Amino acid sequence: MKTIILGVGNPILKNDGVGIHVAEELKKMIKRPDVKIDSAFTGGMNLLDMIVDHDRAILIDAVKRSDRKPGDIDILPIGEISAFHTCNPHDVSLPQAIELAKKLGEKRIPKDISLIGINIGELSCEFGEELSGEIKKAVPKAVKIVKEEVEKDE
Amino acid sequence: MKTITIDPITRLEGHGKISIFLNDKGNVENAYLQIPELRGFERFAQGRRAEDMPQITSRICGVCPVAHHYAATKALDDAFNVTPPSAAKKLRELMYCGYIIYDHILHFYYLGGPDFVVGPDAPPAQRNILGVIEKAGVEIGKEVIKHRAYGQKITSVLGGKATHPVCGLPGGISKGLNKEEAKEVEKMSKSCVDFAKFTLKLFDDIVLKNKDYVDLITSDPYQLKTYNMGLVDEKNKVNFYDGKIRVTNQEGKEHVKFEVKDYYKKIVEHVEEWSYMKFPYLKDIGWKGLSDGKDSGIYRVGPLGRLNAADGMATPEADKEYKRLFETLGGKPIDSTLAFHWARLIELLYVSERAVELIKDSEITSDKIRNPVGEPGEGFGVVEAARGTLIHHYKLSKKGLVDKANLIVATTNNAGAITMSIRDAAKGVISNGKVDNGVLNKVEMAFRAYDPCFACATHTLPGGMPLQVDIYDNKRKLLKTYNRR
Repeated sequence: MKTIILGVGNPILKNDGVGIHVAEELKKMIKRPDVKIDSAFTGGMNLLDMIVDHDRAILIDAVKRSDRKPGDIDILPIGEISAFHTCNPHDVSLPQAIELAKKLGEKRIPKDISLIGINIGELSCEFGEELSGEIKKAVPKAVKIVKEEVEKDE
Repeated sequence: MKTITIDPITRLEGHGKISIFLNDKGNVENAYLQIPELRGFERFAQGRRAEDMPQITSRICGVCPVAHHYAATKALDDAFNVTPPSAAKKLRELMYCGYIIYDHILHFYYLGGPDFVVGPDAPPAQRNILGVIEKAGVEIGKEVIKHRAYGQKITSVLGGKATHPVCGLPGGISKGLNKEEAKEVEKMSKSCVDFAKFTLKLFDDIVLKNKDYVDLITSDPYQLKTYNMGLVDEKNKVNFYDGKIRVTNQEGKEHVKFEVKDYYKKIVEHVEEWSYMKFPYLKDIGWKGLSDGKDSGIYRVGPLGRLNAADGMATPEADKEYKRLFETLGGKPIDSTLAFHWARLIELLYVSERAVELIKDSEITSDKIRNPVGEPGEGFGVVEAARGTLIHHYKLSKKGLVDKANLIVATTNNAGAITMSIRDAAKGVISNGKVDNGVLNKVEMAFRAYDPCFACATHTLPGGMPLQVDIYDNKRKLLKTYNRR
């Protein structure tokens, strides 16, 4: 299955960049011609551009849910996400971009889009490249989840 | 006193928050905009290699990576005392045109335009690009998507990566254009010229031919008599990539024109205790609080700021549209905040025409794209980001590491004006404590016209993008909370 794995987030905004840390780890482990691993610090329309022409897209992103603890990981099918607040305050959300593309007859949207959300609690508004302790611990867990997901069809 | 809080602001997904304070009669006493600023950039930058700054700063914000990339690259040209070859300058500017093309298209069709195309009173769920397509048709939707993608493509052909360019180097650019790429860019740029003209026509038909909209644009709550600022070329025409910073006054006359290296002699940042945002103002005029007029040093940047601060556009079709704008809205300067939308479309035409000029230039496929750098020192860089003047300033050590970094971003330049526009719109549309979706949206429209950017990542999943409105009584006791999507 032609798959794209995307770490989403801002690499210089501390925990916000956790998805990119996960993607970097995955790059070292998964070497398959049908799996592309990349990172994206951008919003809905650009994300859509990056995932089209694949059968499956797995996005790894920092999320904030009031009922979860920092470091908790959720696997969310795209259909269950009503709004995708990207790092980009100017762009549209990914679900909105997908809805728009479908309306315009776009046929290249992946059939299977899921989000691996790593809860980061409050977002720091301070620049930095490091993850905090509990978020760092979540990285290998998220790596394992994505790896298992990808290997299902191997 | 009652307080209405609009939090966060729909369609701009940062942590923006508008607080509106009502008096006992339910009329607006005052209004404030609060935005959390990203902190600690100077410390973060300290000790890093200078040549990494164009990449690092392009990650400050997912909205204008290309603007930061080139403000940084130009600051490094200056810091390393090197002038790029003219082919490199042209390539940089061409790439910059691509960025403005996709950014301005995105704003008009996705963010600002829906207020007009779908209507300011329409439910928030319909006031978006899907609503626009519903109204304007699927074919137009396809053209929007296509041309936004063209802008991205022009940027990525030159920049290496669509969203975060890796091409800017002190003294030039790392990648040139081959003939084949140039041909493709030419085709796309020409198509963008037609699309920009089409969009201006659409604006005419939907907005300017609708008396209600014209009345709204020219109505008192949306007027602001500030100074205006923007980059201009040697003929005082709008330029995004290079030039001098020009400021014009409330009569449309030049107040001052200066090189970016003098910015700290001309601009001062005021601090208010209720806000993380700083409020820049013109030093020689001074800070007179959040007020407009000749005695207040507050200025505006962005599309309308740029057009007001210039004497015209450097390309023929855009210049015609420039003249028509000022003739239609009663001469220079234009004070209407909602005219930012029109100005933005004239700029879309300009950058498209400019891209065609540049790609036809015989030098554009040259391989002389880099000059050797000198010794590291201090450097200043300025560009016009889509939303206004952006300044980078670095001091480098002898080893070429960053000692000091200071940035003034576009939305900060507009901070005072945005806050006043929100306050005035709120005063104009809220009376006797009556608030509904349409009323709140008309307050947000004052804000959205500037296309502000909070540069602050927020990921809240899952769930909607609630617009929370808190209403308090005159003892600041919470009476009611509205949540809308």
